[in-house]
Amino acid sequence: MAAVRRLRVTDRATGAVLGEVEDDGSVGAASDPTSVRSQADVTRLAPGRFEVVVDGWRFDLVVEDADRVDLRERATRTRDASGHRGPTEVRAIIPGRVASVAVAVGDVVTAGSRLLAVEAMKMENDVRSPRDGTVERVAVGPGQTVELGDVLVVIA
Amino acid sequence: MSQVPGPPFRRVLVANRGEIAVRIIRACHDLRMEAVAVYSDADIGAMHVRRADAAVRLGPAAASDSYLRIDRIIEAALASGAQAIHPGYGFLAERAAFARAIVDAGLVFVGPSPASIEAVGDKLAGRRLARDAGVPTVPGTLEPADLDRPDALAGIIAEATRIGFPLMVKASAGGGGRGMRRVERSVDLPLALTSASAEASASFGDGSVYLEREVRPARHIEVQLLGDLTGRVVAVGERDCSIQRRHQKLVEEAPAPGLDPAARSELLAMGVRIGTAAGLTNAATAEFLLARDGTWSFLEVNTRLQVEHGVTELTTGLDLVAEQFHLAAGRPLSDAVLAAAARASDPGRHSIEVRLAAEDPASDFIPNPGVVRDWVMPAGPGVRVDTGIEAGDRIPPEYDNLIAKVLVVAADRPAAIDRLRRALDETVVTGVQTTLPFHRFVARHPGFRVGDLSTDWVAEAWDGAGERAGAVPGALAALARGVRDEPAPGSASPPIVATATPASGWLAASREEAVDRWPR
Repeated sequence: MAAVRRLRVTDRATGAVLGEVEDDGSVGAASDPTSVRSQADVTRLAPGRFEVVVDGWRFDLVVEDADRVDLRERATRTRDASGHRGPTEVRAIIPGRVASVAVAVGDVVTAGSRLLAVEAMKMENDVRSPRDGTVERVAVGPGQTVELGDVLVVIA
Repeated sequence: MSQVPGPPFRRVLVANRGEIAVRIIRACHDLRMEAVAVYSDADIGAMHVRRADAAVRLGPAAASDSYLRIDRIIEAALASGAQAIHPGYGFLAERAAFARAIVDAGLVFVGPSPASIEAVGDKLAGRRLARDAGVPTVPGTLEPADLDRPDALAGIIAEATRIGFPLMVKASAGGGGRGMRRVERSVDLPLALTSASAEASASFGDGSVYLEREVRPARHIEVQLLGDLTGRVVAVGERDCSIQRRHQKLVEEAPAPGLDPAARSELLAMGVRIGTAAGLTNAATAEFLLARDGTWSFLEVNTRLQVEHGVTELTTGLDLVAEQFHLAAGRPLSDAVLAAAARASDPGRHSIEVRLAAEDPASDFIPNPGVVRDWVMPAGPGVRVDTGIEAGDRIPPEYDNLIAKVLVVAADRPAAIDRLRRALDETVVTGVQTTLPFHRFVARHPGFRVGDLSTDWVAEAWDGAGERAGAVPGALAALARGVRDEPAPGSASPPIVATATPASGWLAASREEAVDRWPR
């Protein structure tokens, strides 16, 4: 009999750990939809990565062995305790064109400060600072095209 | 039945893309006309290209190099032997210069005359015209703000103070929420003016902006007008488009719920008065705000087919695009149009449309382009879907993020809401996040059912992040079933998280961690 494997599930969109699911090695438990509305679509996008669409919500989920994640987190806590804290990279969450840049290197920003605007689908979308800090690097300029995940600004 | 007219034209060029191009091509074929599509490099093989009888490439993906190129579109029409050009909505639809260039090339523009587009297509001109026609307008300025002279700023701020904050900065050439900014304090006015002007300049080629008082709470209600070359203008019904986000409509219905016949007649008459004063021909829409105290304020005229024209088609039985072609060919308002106008204050049916857009309703409806994998659209009695998307299609980031309109019609509003709920429960889209969860929420919301609508509805009723969180248990349960096919750990490389939200520093930290922990 296969051992039960605990799997940690992380939401790629928000970065939040959503919970754990157990894989007991059994095959294809029957689904039990209560209505056509709550039927879920599950698609394996890549190793350890699934798309689940339920009630119109799309979840891009990362699945990792929970024991392994625990190990990693213990290591991270040790590092945090020693005072090491790296700069935060703010990345493009949509592909588009940089419409304007509101900060320069050395600017002091607070969480929520407007950093720049990315234009996509003809709409300008403000990119805001995730935390307090100082602008260490501005990686893009107005008019520049950015792809999903490109570094825009680094906050130290 | 008076007469059965032949096809108004032999061949028509459709100067648009996506669902509206498909919609217009369908009307062409219903009228036994040939349709010529145009496309950019982002739309090679798109549905509107495949549905057409011929297609002409315009240029690279950027709209300014393709769908906004007046010269290329007219060349394409002449080369393909088209007699008329239908602009759809957006892009060049409300540009008098486009209409004029078409006429100058000896072709027919399917829309109002260039003169009437100028008379009202510019929002400022429309405001002046309404004032002259004795129709109440939203308080604000009637001339563009002078942004070229720094010394004029003090005057603009003084005027803004007179109008009162919060107010709206609006692009005179704007539409669809673009080139529009809400300003709460005078200190924010200069930035709002320049950014709205820049956005309008980029989107419409005209950076003129003006100030308008914010009417809140309000309902957004608009009148569908049709006019012929004799100068006759009629209203075939109104639509309530109050449910909006970022000033873009999400849900529209016809007729507007809760209007008594007197109020409806007053509204339709105001629309006709503006249309007549503007010398409108073909199809146009007069937009109004209805304040809580029952007062109407004219907002603007759109001299084109609206995205939401379908709800009027479902309540009247008209094909508005077909009527546009008949009118463009110089025919008088049809018997069907006159009959619809006669019963416009009591249409006897109710229709609702929702706009499925590639946006994340949990994150302030942020655009979310990508590739659609599964695509199941509803069908059955009283359901219509207008789309330009099929399973496997890429939604290009260059254009509007509307991917489908789901429309329902029923005998009355409660039945239409029930039908909408059923239709949306049948709908499945995977690969991209869409506004579907929001629409399912609307269809089940008690406030929507009683017709308690306002342009603040989304902000007041919708908690996107909370709704998404409510779906997590179902997602995890589904994942637990699906994950059993997953290979054992060790055979897969550790995940590197590749997206971040500005709201959390989690991503950067975790990427750093992942790289630290799992050197390659």
